[in-house]
Amino acid sequence: MWLELAFIQRAIIACILSGFLTGLIGVFVVRMRLSAIGYSMSHGAFAGAALGVAISINPLLTALLFSAATALLIGPVADKARLPPDLITSIAFPLNMALAFVFLTLSPEVGLSSEVASVLWGSIVSMTNEDLLWLTILFSSTLALIGLFWKELFAIMFDRKMAEADGINTKPFLYFIIFLIGLVITFALKLVGGILIFALLFNPSSSALQYLQDMRKIIVASPILGALSCLSGLIASIYLDLPVGSCIVLFSTLIFAISVLFSPKRRRKEVKP
Amino acid sequence: MDMNLAIYLEGVSTIYEGERRPAIKDVSLSIKRGEFVYVVGPNASGKTTLLETINGLLPLYKGRVFVLGYNIQTHGRKVRREVGYVPQDFMVDPGEPYTALDVVLMGRYGNLGILRSPKEEDLEKAMETMRLMGIDDQAKKPIGKLSGGQQQKVMIARALAKEPKILLMDEPFSNLDPESRERIPELIERLHEERGLTTIIVTHDVRRISGLCRRVIVMGGGKIVADGKPEDALALLERPLSPVFIRGA
Repeated sequence: MWLELAFIQRAIIACILSGFLTGLIGVFVVRMRLSAIGYSMSHGAFAGAALGVAISINPLLTALLFSAATALLIGPVADKARLPPDLITSIAFPLNMALAFVFLTLSPEVGLSSEVASVLWGSIVSMTNEDLLWLTILFSSTLALIGLFWKELFAIMFDRKMAEADGINTKPFLYFIIFLIGLVITFALKLVGGILIFALLFNPSSSALQYLQDMRKIIVASPILGALSCLSGLIASIYLDLPVGSCIVLFSTLIFAISVLFSPKRRRKEVKP
Repeated sequence: MDMNLAIYLEGVSTIYEGERRPAIKDVSLSIKRGEFVYVVGPNASGKTTLLETINGLLPLYKGRVFVLGYNIQTHGRKVRREVGYVPQDFMVDPGEPYTALDVVLMGRYGNLGILRSPKEEDLEKAMETMRLMGIDDQAKKPIGKLSGGQQQKVMIARALAKEPKILLMDEPFSNLDPESRERIPELIERLHEERGLTTIIVTHDVRRISGLCRRVIVMGGGKIVADGKPEDALALLERPLSPVFIRGA
């Protein structure tokens, strides 16, 4: 039975943790209108991982560096230069993609090696115990930090300007979330790869926002939907012998489509003339 | 600086990001503690910018702003914890995942400080201000499902829940129903007196200017074009096409 295999057990745990984290952080991405930033950072991580493959060092480390650099560029640097984040994002996205393909072309092995493929499409079955340990540390610290600053994040997600007017210093919280997006993307890269990772940031939270009208329920439901998408995608990929990342994204998109179809927001009352 | 002053602006200009012309220019103004002031003027005359400058929500291009004796540039956050702010036309999406009570309670977050959760006392204070506004029965409803007038009351309740020393209100009665348009301004006046507030209300509707108001500031072209007794200011407002409103004094 495949469930008894150690690498499958690791893959299942990684799926649940990564899916939960991307679903959780995705709520902040959507509510704080950081979609473009999340999109850019996921490709920053992709370019970083590609560099790691090209120069034969741990792709996780270079992905983290590139993602953090993109976060810095979009956050404080854009702020200091008085450039709108959208403009920086529009420049960062194609730059990161161009760099990623240059690095992948420069990788020592000719053709689509397993390492190159894992950066592109993800490679959940190659999860090591060390990867799992890091993922668990990230999972616990993310939950703890969000729990500690929930009051401030709750107010900022409603309206940043009003939170500032109430005396909350919103900037550090914004940067904290941007940094967390980078970390989560980097660690979840093995799940679906650099090209598809952003779908996991948006689909679970967008699905929860379609169906629920209470932020406390959304912040619980979105990570569960994220974990569910990842787990279903992994199982489907094992049975159908398809790429894990693609199956996960397809499942999360299916959940989004179902939530749109059955969303209470679609049930509009007819307006009588 | 005179500690009896609640608000003091000296040669203040503010420019919005990406704009070349200041939204308010060379504005100097003193408001004593306990004053009740209306700010009036045509569209784009700088009324909202003036409130956001006092509150430190906009960066200064020129000049100095002191609120409750604090320099807004160095102590902005400290000041904002003492200022209740009601923004203009604050309307949310019908699917907004926050209840009216959530939003009112947020008014107390700044003063609670970091790492502290709201206590029973904060909840009671939020409910009390909702009762004052007559929306306590809507507390558990999603804010997006409330009417425009009810949402406006939620924002007023949020500002009051903070128990501020200064109240800055930007067109706070514009969406209210006729009954509330009578009742809420009276309530604000009562709270102003009972709590010893300093109150500044921006309005288009000069008929709202009440008996408690002893001072009206008229803005035009980003400048203060008149500042004095209501009757004098209102006389100037009867000539709205005067060039003074377009280019300022």
